[in-house]
Amino acid sequence: MKRTSTAKLILGIVAFALVAAACGDGDSTDGPTTTAASPERGASGRIEVSGSSTVEPITALVAEDFAAANPGVGISVEGPGTGDGFARFCAGETDVSDASRAIRDSEVEECAANGIPFFELHIATDGLSVLTSPENDAVSCLDFNDLYALLGPESEGFDTWADADAIAAELGAGNAPYPDAPLVVTAPGEESGTYDTFVEFVIEDIAGERGQEEATRADYEASGNDNVIVNGISANPTSLGWVGFAFFAENADVLKAIDIDGGDGCVTPTAETIASFQYPLSRPLFIYVNTDKAAAKPELAAFIDFYLSDGGLASVSEAGYVELPAADIDDTRAAWDGR
Amino acid sequence: MATTTAPHSAADLVARSLRQRGRDLRGTALSFVLLVALLTSLGILLTLIADVVSGGIGVLTGRGWSFVSEPLSPTAAKAGLVQGIFGSLGLTVFVIVVAFPIGLGAAIYLEEYAPDTRLTRLIDANIRNLAGVPSIVYGLLGLAIFVKLADGFTGGRTLVSGGLTLAVLVLPIMIITSAEAIRAVPSGIRQASYGVGATRWETIRHHVLPVALPAILTGTVLTVARAFGESAPLLLAGAVLSSFFASPAGVSLWQQVTEEKYTALPIIVFNWARQPQKEFVELTAAAIIVLLGLLLTVNAAAILLRDRLERR
Repeated sequence: MKRTSTAKLILGIVAFALVAAACGDGDSTDGPTTTAASPERGASGRIEVSGSSTVEPITALVAEDFAAANPGVGISVEGPGTGDGFARFCAGETDVSDASRAIRDSEVEECAANGIPFFELHIATDGLSVLTSPENDAVSCLDFNDLYALLGPESEGFDTWADADAIAAELGAGNAPYPDAPLVVTAPGEESGTYDTFVEFVIEDIAGERGQEEATRADYEASGNDNVIVNGISANPTSLGWVGFAFFAENADVLKAIDIDGGDGCVTPTAETIASFQYPLSRPLFIYVNTDKAAAKPELAAFIDFYLSDGGLASVSEAGYVELPAADIDDTRAAWDGR
Repeated sequence: MATTTAPHSAADLVARSLRQRGRDLRGTALSFVLLVALLTSLGILLTLIADVVSGGIGVLTGRGWSFVSEPLSPTAAKAGLVQGIFGSLGLTVFVIVVAFPIGLGAAIYLEEYAPDTRLTRLIDANIRNLAGVPSIVYGLLGLAIFVKLADGFTGGRTLVSGGLTLAVLVLPIMIITSAEAIRAVPSGIRQASYGVGATRWETIRHHVLPVALPAILTGTVLTVARAFGESAPLLLAGAVLSSFFASPAGVSLWQQVTEEKYTALPIIVFNWARQPQKEFVELTAAAIIVLLGLLLTVNAAAILLRDRLERR
């Protein structure tokens, strides 16, 4: 009697483990491995991509199509962020790094120190969209001075738009005075590449001149999840914030994009104005490829070939970003062919 | 009430409760407060479930089985959970196979064999502290040891690394719950066993463990549930946070576990919740339903097993 109880326990645990493992087995054969090794499958091997969460959807779409055509290739696309991506890329852990900004000098040095040669491919364009609620009729265009007055380091503690009038007057901002309405800011947190880009484009120069810290105000609702930001902006009639263009385009019914004046008049963010860089907050999106690995791994070269083909680059608009003009695509392809 | 300061003999209490029948105001008030507490927690839970189900049920009915059987995809209409389900179940197996025997063994030693010295008490206190260490710290440990240091054995960012990380994470909880279950066995049972000449091992195996087993398994169920919902340590221990990844065609289950990348359901939920397309909001809710369903299934299986053992 007592013997059986121990035996039963062990049996039970083993059975449980086996059932779970068997389920797993079934799942895995149902899933990615159903297309069993066919004799004339294309390339084989592994490709690892990491980097910007902004660029991830584009690369993931390309990778999905590539994997469907080349079932022998294992491929993963991650999006922890541009900086994290470069850290792994320059340690030689990944083959390709997605980036929502150009590589920094410190990262170039890191790659060089580890003997990782790379090259840069410009694959798409994004526009930082400065947003408010569609109910906000009072504000339709802002210039960099306005944005600095409302969001810069000196705006800390401003609860209404009108609080920024004094700084705006000092700077000669084009669209002051502002409405006397609550200023509720929801925007990306400091860990985000989208935050970095905003500081770099809008805040850096003015803050430098005024001897201020090159950062935004700290007292706003920060989130790493762009959908949370979209909800925060749409929920308040006099809100303010910024996200990547794809998130605005997907939620255009509940958001209003504020035109941006970079010195040449107000420009609305649209696919055209972003692609031509006429929109002042346009930013290029890149992939960085490890040159040595591209030479050593035919499957990686095949992947980049496919990425830069018309079929591959169609993923850019599918993911909600702005495709490059034909001339820029030719430049990118030339950069790849001349590697 | 005025009589509270008076000495409470049993006769007084009985007499008072008979006199004041139906007028126990404090008791009534307290039971009301307790009921409110219960309803609040239930209400929050139900709101959460109702919100998730109303958001995700459309995907489950619309997509049906394909939502569970398809791999990840950046296209919402095609995206499925099979890789996450495989990963989560695989991690569960690791937690049970690795943490259960080690945890139970450590608990038996601590309770039945270890002398009650200062060192033993120090170890005991340390295990309790370890159980309170934030899970992200175990993730760092997993990254440093299983992913980097032992990558020859674990294969780097594989299910083995993730499984071992979670096993280490739940080990202290496993030891504590098992030790408490063993401690709760009346010492009379042990003494009776020794009295008829049984050895210490015979006593533990035939008398202590069978009595403690249901409580030990209850602890195991809770532990597995904890491991099932973890995402932070897995992110560090190499789980793929991604809209798309694929293993090469034709890999065996063994290779899938020891060489290929993996993900888990909570990671997929996290990833989908940050996608720009609105369809992914529904997919996120649907994935949460699947996660809850799977967790309930795993727990139910463990509870059934426990009840069978209890009825023995």
